[in-house]
Amino acid sequence: MALNKKSLSWSEARDLFRTWRELNERKSQDVVSLWENTLQKKVHKLGDERLLVYEQVCLAALDTNRMDIADQCLVALKKEFSTSLRVRKLQAMKLEAMERYDEALELLDNIIRRDETNAAPRKRRVAILKARGRIPEAIKELTEYLKKFMSDQEAWQQLCDLYLMETDFARAAFCMEELLLQNPHNHLVHQRYAEIRYTQGGYENIELARAHYCQAIKLNPNNMRALYGLFLTSSNIALSPKTTSQKRKDAGKLAKWALRQIEERYESSTQVEALESMLSGLQLGSVPAVTPPTPST
Amino acid sequence: MAELLLDPNIRLWVFLPIVVITFLVGVVRHYISILLSSQKKVELQQLQDSQVMIRSRMLRENGKYIPKQSFLMRRHYFNNEETGYFKTQKRAAAVQNPMTDPSVMIDMLKGNVTNVLPMIVIGGWINWMFSGFVTTKVPFPLTLRFKPMLQRGIELLSLDAAWVSSASWYFLNVFGLRSIYALVLGENNAADQARHIQDQMSGAAMAMPPDPKAAFKAEWEALEICEHHWALGNVDAEMMALVGPTVDSMYHQNKVD
Repeated sequence: MALNKKSLSWSEARDLFRTWRELNERKSQDVVSLWENTLQKKVHKLGDERLLVYEQVCLAALDTNRMDIADQCLVALKKEFSTSLRVRKLQAMKLEAMERYDEALELLDNIIRRDETNAAPRKRRVAILKARGRIPEAIKELTEYLKKFMSDQEAWQQLCDLYLMETDFARAAFCMEELLLQNPHNHLVHQRYAEIRYTQGGYENIELARAHYCQAIKLNPNNMRALYGLFLTSSNIALSPKTTSQKRKDAGKLAKWALRQIEERYESSTQVEALESMLSGLQLGSVPAVTPPTPST
Repeated sequence: MAELLLDPNIRLWVFLPIVVITFLVGVVRHYISILLSSQKKVELQQLQDSQVMIRSRMLRENGKYIPKQSFLMRRHYFNNEETGYFKTQKRAAAVQNPMTDPSVMIDMLKGNVTNVLPMIVIGGWINWMFSGFVTTKVPFPLTLRFKPMLQRGIELLSLDAAWVSSASWYFLNVFGLRSIYALVLGENNAADQARHIQDQMSGAAMAMPPDPKAAFKAEWEALEICEHHWALGNVDAEMMALVGPTVDSMYHQNKVD
């Protein structure tokens, strides 16, 4: 990618930008370098699309702290749409990137007052609070937002992360459930929900976690984290005093199966032995300590 | 029948002008409708209502993927008699008579002004200006049934149906130039997108229920009768069935070895 970047013609660059825009890919480094190398000189050829490109490049420039480029784009956009709220949001984001948070907040409040139904500036407010490390306030703000915009997946996901930062697992699990409702066929959501439940601990939660790990593996048999999780939860259940003997046998079998699957996937690698010994160590040690696959990623 | 020979002046002063006029009128109409189009204002309340409906529907459809307790908790939030969302949120039954809502009236009027009016005016003018010309001939034979369609304004029994009159040529253009407009004005790409950058992406401006009160009631009922069957109840059993025998045999083999 980095090699042929120089050789891309402007129309290829434009098409690339377009795909990235459509797929919502940020790719800030690539966008900025492509912009500087190819597209900047040809911007007049883009027609009306140049405005969208300006917006995209502006965001990328803010990501990579290239204030000069961001300014350039903002000026161009401002000239075209002097009253647009969307451009104002970009301005607020620039202030945010320069860590002038109070001014950014003021600008965002202005936008919200102009258009109450605009979700983006409200989310930016949460982002600012998060950037400042005021997690409880960010949570409060985000819950307020979610009262209005209940079916916003991104927001639920963000809220889940914020709760995890505060190690409030029960509430994080609630947010994850909300995501499960919205896309029940995404194995990553199942896996993550299971991780949160596993971290919560307790027999019921671990059983729940195992069910969701199973579901994640069913949806995507190559999900390594879910396989590890299935192994950990199953061996945990197998060793728990609360389990009936039949269940214990099943759980043991499931744990072995998960182990076998993991081994198969590592077969080509040279570290199989090391891994095996590590896992058997885990299995032998009474109840595995509640060290889940870290749920924070 | 004797072959008809058309005056070249007809081509120059009737055939081509009609094409150009219809095309230019279409372009102008496009820009006028852009000028007139009013931005739909969405109320925060309506937005919230529609999002609540979506969430509730999701709960009904995918509730089986979350544990029973979580499902009941959410249903309680929506449906509880005293505190439930659908019970406490009182929405005025919306008056949806278009004749009493001025904004709907204005929208309808604008649609008429930009679409129907020019059609009538230009059509009438063309009919009057270029009446009675035989403009062109389609290069294939047609049956008599096509005469009223292709020879509007010319009532000649003996004329072959393949000939097209000026008025009909106008209508053919009106309906046939659509793809050319898309080409020139760029229906879905650049021109349109530039317009959209003006209005911000208030992402969820989706269709909201016209009457929230009735919609809430319907949703309340649907949710009330919705039962929770946990979908993952026997997923580990399924997993066992899927993997059981192979694991067992492998295990035994290993033991034998």
